[in-house]
Amino acid sequence: MIEASGLAKRYGDLVAVDDVSFSVQPGEVVGFLGPNGAGKTTTMRILTGFLPPTDGRAVIDGHDIFSDPLAARRAIGYLPESPPVYPEMSVEDYLAYVAKLKDVPRRQRRAAVDRALERCGLADVRRRVIGMLSKGYRQRVGLAQAIVHDPPVMILDEPTVGLDPIQIREIRTLIRDLAGTREGKARTVILSTHILPEVEAICQRVIIMHRGKKALDAPLGELQRGGASLEEIFARTTAREVPVPSDLVLEARP
Amino acid sequence: MKHVGAIAGRELNSLFVSPVAYAVMTLFAVLAGFFFLSGVLQFQEYVIRLQSFQAMEQLEELNLNDHVIAPFLHVMSVVLLFLVPGVTMGLFASEKTNGTLELLLTSPITIWELVIGKFLAAAAFIAILVLLLGLFPAILFTYGDPEFGKTAAGMLGLLLIGMAYASIGAFASSVTQSQFVAFFLAFVLLLVLWMLGFLADLGAAGGATSSDSVGDLLRYLSTAEHFESMVMGLVDTKDLAYFGVIVVAFLTLTKAAVESVRWR
Repeated sequence: MIEASGLAKRYGDLVAVDDVSFSVQPGEVVGFLGPNGAGKTTTMRILTGFLPPTDGRAVIDGHDIFSDPLAARRAIGYLPESPPVYPEMSVEDYLAYVAKLKDVPRRQRRAAVDRALERCGLADVRRRVIGMLSKGYRQRVGLAQAIVHDPPVMILDEPTVGLDPIQIREIRTLIRDLAGTREGKARTVILSTHILPEVEAICQRVIIMHRGKKALDAPLGELQRGGASLEEIFARTTAREVPVPSDLVLEARP
Repeated sequence: MKHVGAIAGRELNSLFVSPVAYAVMTLFAVLAGFFFLSGVLQFQEYVIRLQSFQAMEQLEELNLNDHVIAPFLHVMSVVLLFLVPGVTMGLFASEKTNGTLELLLTSPITIWELVIGKFLAAAAFIAILVLLLGLFPAILFTYGDPEFGKTAAGMLGLLLIGMAYASIGAFASSVTQSQFVAFFLAFVLLLVLWMLGFLADLGAAGGATSSDSVGDLLRYLSTAEHFESMVMGLVDTKDLAYFGVIVVAFLTLTKAAVESVRWR
């Protein structure tokens, strides 16, 4: 479903992402772990077509992000770190607008918006202005925006950051729910986080990024069978010195 | 190009939800009313004075087009100089601060669709302003007898100069995150383009005879110069082409600036 090979992103001497390859099978839920500045956001931005890689290629649902960008983007639902919402719009107007942008056919738009509202528990606030919603609800709107066109792939960048514990639990449940059901088929999900229990709660597989490189890639079950806790594994992986061309490795945010 | 409508529609909507549209429209209407009224009063006074001097020849030459409508359109083109940046400042800058540019650039839309949609929204709003302005000359048609063709040419000129301004404002908004910077940059660009003709005149007055071709070039590049001839009632393809080229050139620059987010 997602094929990334040799992805790299350099800004002059700064190496944000360095030769990262992985593939994700349909229906898999993969957790992207790593300390701040490890290259998680940059990798996701490359996959969504927001940033072009300096090197390497990625294929989403059979469409190369470079040679067939529109089809690749159509296959992705993307929630950036802060939900990309217009504060002055109402929830349903906003979702209808996103549905138009994502090429949902006119006749199915109404139904697509209703479904997204319902799936994300937004039916009661559909006419409310987004700027007046709480942070947790705004995050739900962000998730609704990512699934309104029912994409086979969902890419979520720190979906629970800045939420309170109750909201975090709700959003996690929601993500698990959205991952499992897509018109009978499962949805492929990549989500980044630096909260370890989140990975254990949602994901089947873990990719740990460290200093722009892929430091670990293993199914969660396998790691847990090894006896060590995810926290120990994480600490060990990110402490290990990974040789990098420059020790100035930054996560770039334009 | 199927997303253009969606983008333009949302932009217009947000313009009318925010106070910006109403502030701009109010300011525009108040200034237009003020300048129109003072123009008409001056004209009236002038007519009375000429009559008292029995200056029949001058009275013959007096007409509403040259003495009321043309100066009025001129002043309004200057008003647009600082109102259009207010309309366009948010086009791209607000998408950047909202984080919604990330949504747009990861959607299956092309950057041209985005740029043209944004431009059309601003252009439509400016067209509304120009239509509102049309009410004033319409009053003259009720009570007087101005030439229709000349008036229409002047109005078209104002609309075209507004479109050119909108494309420049869109560009200014695409190179910065700050709406304030976008406003200021657009204003400076518009002012410079508008003043180029005066600059040439100044050079000529200073005795810079050797730089005649430079003066001509400056005059040709100036927005005011092309607007001038339309207000005089002359719709020349040369002037239409000028405004067309300005719009296309600045929209192309805007597209490059939006795209550059990807290449940074």
